[in-house]
Amino acid sequence: MKKFVTLVLAVVLALSVMTGCGSNSTEKATLKIYNAGEYIDKSLLTQFEQEFNCKVVYETFDSNESMYTKIMSGETYDILIPSDYMIERLIKENYLAEIDWSKITNSGNLMAQVMDQAAYDPAHTYTVPYFWGSVGIIYDTTVVDAADTEAGWDLLKNTKYAGNIYMYDSERDSLMIALKSLGYSMNTTDTAQIDEAYQWLVDQRDTMDPVYVGDDVIDNMISGNKAMAVVYSGDAAYMMTENENLEYLVPSQGTNIWYDCMVITKNCTQTDLAHSWINFMLDADNALANTEEVGYLSPVQSAYDEMCVSTYEGVSAYTIPDTSNPLNEVFGYQDTETKKYFADVWTKVKAY
Amino acid sequence: MKEFKSLVKPYILWSFLLIIVPLLLIVLYSVTTGGNSLVNIRFTLENFKKIGEPIYIQVFVRSFRLGLITTILCLLFGYILAYVIAQFSEKAQSILILFVTIPMWINTLLRTYAWISILSENGIVNSFLEVIGLNPVTMMYTDFSVVLGLVCDLLPFMVIPIHTSLSKMDKSLIEAAYDLGAHRWQAFWRVTFTLSIPGVINGVTMVFLLSISTFVIPKLLGGGQYVLIGNLIENQFVSIGDWNFGSAISLLLAILMLLMINITKKLDKMEGGGDL
Repeated sequence: MKKFVTLVLAVVLALSVMTGCGSNSTEKATLKIYNAGEYIDKSLLTQFEQEFNCKVVYETFDSNESMYTKIMSGETYDILIPSDYMIERLIKENYLAEIDWSKITNSGNLMAQVMDQAAYDPAHTYTVPYFWGSVGIIYDTTVVDAADTEAGWDLLKNTKYAGNIYMYDSERDSLMIALKSLGYSMNTTDTAQIDEAYQWLVDQRDTMDPVYVGDDVIDNMISGNKAMAVVYSGDAAYMMTENENLEYLVPSQGTNIWYDCMVITKNCTQTDLAHSWINFMLDADNALANTEEVGYLSPVQSAYDEMCVSTYEGVSAYTIPDTSNPLNEVFGYQDTETKKYFADVWTKVKAY
Repeated sequence: MKEFKSLVKPYILWSFLLIIVPLLLIVLYSVTTGGNSLVNIRFTLENFKKIGEPIYIQVFVRSFRLGLITTILCLLFGYILAYVIAQFSEKAQSILILFVTIPMWINTLLRTYAWISILSENGIVNSFLEVIGLNPVTMMYTDFSVVLGLVCDLLPFMVIPIHTSLSKMDKSLIEAAYDLGAHRWQAFWRVTFTLSIPGVINGVTMVFLLSISTFVIPKLLGGGQYVLIGNLIENQFVSIGDWNFGSAISLLLAILMLLMINITKKLDKMEGGGDL
């Protein structure tokens, strides 16, 4: 037994020596970044580490909500990349630090369309755009009649394709579709309208037998398992480069135009380094590498132009969303009551 | 070894911090409202009332039904497998048990993704059916795919305890049964099965408890419409952010599980006391 105790002590000692060394050699500044999964060209992180002689701790989340849960439970990061409505919430809850635009020397690379009409942060006091896009339907042109697509969102209720569709398993996106199809705003707080949208989704569930999926939709659509799916434009662009039979549809009844932005948190201790990283991501070459890898729409003009004539040439999902259509909206902040109502409605649609 | 008794103390502290405190927090959250911060809490029983709504009752019923189906199938296949393994020599048995546990070395998520590529519309099975000239079958996102995934994932939890009781059994008891004129079936039912009941009860308890609280497998193989208790709890915590309601469901599930463990323990005692 004595031998065993000695062994344990030896191991503990060895470990403590190792960690001791570790902390000595990492005098370098550390930047903690929290981003959605598969949403960056990771070689850019290594490149940034070398250029700025620092260490990047990069972690990923699977939804804005799970990100929120994690930071509210006390985890701290320097930079987050959430979506518009979540940013609005974080601003309201006083969680973000202001951006010093004088340090973002590459800000001239950003396209004007992305900077305008940012209801979530009109003056871009806290946010620097990262990617943006729309929500639409991706469909298999060998199965779906082109004439049927004129129905817009109601294509998802065309019984010709019953049992042949994927819906996105998110209350926001699904209710957005139902509300838009009924001609309402997706930011409604009127419970009568939400109830009507609920009925729309229940009807769809009963007549169409859809499957509610998450990111597994990407592989499923590429291998042509079903005729259509509700997807984000960036995922659609990637799917379309992998399967040429796919086409992307943005219904004229209006859709969700979304913005994902880089923000600096109040907990950030490396403010200069954080600004350097944001600036680094807006660099023309880096933005190009990033958008090419991920497939989402870059807010950097030169990167966008380049992609339109190279990798994503002719891919209709890789286009600037139509901000002139007044029916296209950005998700706004929801008060707790509405948020709960949305969530309850969605549970009811799925669980019955 | 007496001096080592004090070594238990850190463990008590450890389990207090990592098991008791979180449990108390769940209890606290479940009887309060006021969001995730503990600053502005109010005591209420609303959360438990909400579980009584038909929609949530239905989720519970569906979870228990699925748990029951999974347990019955696991028991059927698991018992046969354990029985067959127990017939081999001791050396062969340990290798065969190793084969049963090998899949557990691989992450559940990976195994589930493997099932997706086997079962999907253009997957391995359907490609094979096409080659031999049959129509493709929809298997993904159905009861079939979910039950298949669960049974394959949980089978080792049934096989191992049953095998343990079977291999510990004194073979001469069966010979004695034959000597006394029992048929093969009688000998199996009255001797082998009866003696393996502790293993069966262990296996059934484990498989049932794991299958009613699972959420990854139904989500991946059944799609988002497959809402079970586990998914409901996950949603409350991760996407909706209603920790209070989530805690109430977790607490109710924990109580139901404790009750079941108690009942199976009593059954175990009754069986043991009656026959030996």
